[in-house]
Amino acid sequence: MNPAPRKLNLDEWDERYEQLCRDGLREPGYGGSLRRHVVHEKDFRLEQLQFDNSAAALRLWNFLLTENARLHQARARGDKIVGTMKDLGTVPVMAYSLPGVRAFYPDGAWWTPCLMECSDKLLQQAEAMGIDASFCPVRAMLPAFENGEHFPKPDLLICSTGAVCDDFSAIAQRLEHRGHSILWWEMPRRRAPAANEISCALPGNLTAPKIQVDCVRTELQRVGQALGELAGKTLDDDCLAAGIRAANQVRQLLNSLRQTVYSAPAAPLPALEMLVAEMLAIHFCSDHEETIAVLDGLLAEAQARVEQNQFVISADAVRIFWVNPVADLRAMNLLEELGGRICGSDYMFTHALDLIPENLPPLEALARIALADPMVGPTADRAARIVRDCLANRAEAVVVSRIPGASHCAREGEIIREIVRQQIGIPVIELEIPPVCDAMLPTLGSRLQALLETARARRL
Amino acid sequence: MDVFFTSPWIPAEWIRAHGHEPRGLWSAENFQPGASPLSAGVCAFAEAAVRFAEAQKGSAVIFSTACDQMRRGFDTAMLHGQRRAFLFNFPATQTAVAKDIFRSELERLGQFLLTLGGCAPSPELLRLKMLPSGATRKHLLESAATSSPRGFAEAVAQFHWDGTFSPLPPTAPPNQIPLALVGGPFLAPHWKLLDEIEAAGGRVVLNATKTGERSLSPSFVFAADTNPFDALIHGYCDHLVDVFQRPNTRLYSWLKPRLASRQVRGIVLWHFTGCDLWRAEAQTLRESFGLPVLLLEASEEPGNTPRELTRLQAFVETLK
Repeated sequence: MNPAPRKLNLDEWDERYEQLCRDGLREPGYGGSLRRHVVHEKDFRLEQLQFDNSAAALRLWNFLLTENARLHQARARGDKIVGTMKDLGTVPVMAYSLPGVRAFYPDGAWWTPCLMECSDKLLQQAEAMGIDASFCPVRAMLPAFENGEHFPKPDLLICSTGAVCDDFSAIAQRLEHRGHSILWWEMPRRRAPAANEISCALPGNLTAPKIQVDCVRTELQRVGQALGELAGKTLDDDCLAAGIRAANQVRQLLNSLRQTVYSAPAAPLPALEMLVAEMLAIHFCSDHEETIAVLDGLLAEAQARVEQNQFVISADAVRIFWVNPVADLRAMNLLEELGGRICGSDYMFTHALDLIPENLPPLEALARIALADPMVGPTADRAARIVRDCLANRAEAVVVSRIPGASHCAREGEIIREIVRQQIGIPVIELEIPPVCDAMLPTLGSRLQALLETARARRL
Repeated sequence: MDVFFTSPWIPAEWIRAHGHEPRGLWSAENFQPGASPLSAGVCAFAEAAVRFAEAQKGSAVIFSTACDQMRRGFDTAMLHGQRRAFLFNFPATQTAVAKDIFRSELERLGQFLLTLGGCAPSPELLRLKMLPSGATRKHLLESAATSSPRGFAEAVAQFHWDGTFSPLPPTAPPNQIPLALVGGPFLAPHWKLLDEIEAAGGRVVLNATKTGERSLSPSFVFAADTNPFDALIHGYCDHLVDVFQRPNTRLYSWLKPRLASRQVRGIVLWHFTGCDLWRAEAQTLRESFGLPVLLLEASEEPGNTPRELTRLQAFVETLK
């Protein structure tokens, strides 16, 4: 029998894991205790986190924390490894359409300093390479490329450019200057079509002029050629269509999971596990089939808990819409400790959650989904979706989480705040969360408490 | 109508051909970076552009996507109700698609200029507007190496303000440490820095800021059957030199011969707060040219702080 849902610290998970094993837990090849990630990988941050107590959550965490190892294994088996940067969700769909190709985001190294509590010294090494603390923590990927201690060196490196974050673009350029060749592809800044232009509908209730869709499609064709050359197989429409269907399978599962968790009367799964689960959308954590298995497990757990009226966060928790991913995972725990719960999110890749149109030529569909990226269009578009989702999920407040040094954070928070306040009048707060936020916890806690109190007061 | 542009890569000739007055926004008297309090991470130049745009009643402002700060600054201006603003999408790459984007953006800008009361230019009119600006750029570039640094900065600003150029008297190069000033917009309130560099024993022999010599790189080639619009596109796309391009090898190719021929011994990297694109280049500049690089940040107040001045003096001293 499953125990009641609750959150466990790492020590408690040790016992829970033993119990699960005694009860006959069956795990995939990457399974094992969470503790081993601290012992072997120095993921010390796990000792400060609270985790959901389900076997499904265990599988999720093990899947996430073994990604680098799995990539190295794939390389050893002869798979081609593609490093795809910045577009968050589109190029991986193309890469996974080809046999023997795995794509991952080196950008993901931004969580390494958090997980390893900076014991990896990646941020200091980045500084020695000319990228100091005034840049986004994604600078951790720079030394990670060179020391080879994290992800394997990709066979092909692809990066979108144009309407992207300056800090990321600058770091990627620094990477290229250091000898890592990059295939850059152009992402224009999305705009609304003019009256005399042909308009194309994009996922996420957006539109763009056909000329922009055509431009992105042509660029993706160039990317596809490079991927095909790497794989030794043409990336034709049939391959891409199959890849899109596979990606949509993940997106559908995630949508069901988000719907189940965010619309439930109380949270059946914690915010932290939901953040990690949503992240699987962008590149399937380097294993598409396993992503589906992991999400299946989480969805089944969430549905069972809702059915049994069992929740991990109480029903009176303040419903928070969260904007941007957090550099320190601990922040998601903190919100719940203080009486909040997540009821909606925009972790910068809502376009990777939307279904890719299957009724269009594949490259056209991918171009449209790429252009629907919330970070390449007007901030007002992003804010409009946040407003819609806040209304749909009855959000009581919005947290805009600032990423230290990220160029988009300088202005977007104010714009989002203004639009949310104008249109739905719920409180909005901006919080900057560094990769290890322990020193900031009192301040972060106070600010979050103030937000939650304000939101509660509005219930009266 | 005065149409203010925030980047020298927005073709002033195109604005002029539509019957408007193109104005480099950074030369406007009421353009005041640092005049307002800034939120964390906000670039003072971008913020000043937003405030300038919001204050405009009878003129328009053209923003560009060359950096995230300006791109989102445009979003802010639009949110605050400024409708006479336009965002020009500069492609970062140098592919055929990039040129298509530039072309379509010029066409879109043309439509915007028409809504401001402009007239669609004939090819001949466009050519007539391009010829003098091309010639002026050439004159300015020829005088770059022999003019006083401050005189040259003023002359380039004048060109971006009204398209004019008064020949600069050549100055005898004194026996000072030759330096390059590389980076983002270098504005009138900052020109004092050029004097301060000279007082410290250095001399800027290459002003490669966004508002300096680099901004003069567009050039036009007219063959007998060349459509001026195509010449305009090629003139900008093929010669634009900036840090946001990906890859930004063109910037380094542009700098290399100039640094060598002017015997530059040190680089002052000039940037505004929050300008990731330039700050990230410091180490690459050092590695590429083997020259010492001093990062100087545009202070929020006009002029340079004593601390910055001391750093500058020490930098020049180390090169003596």
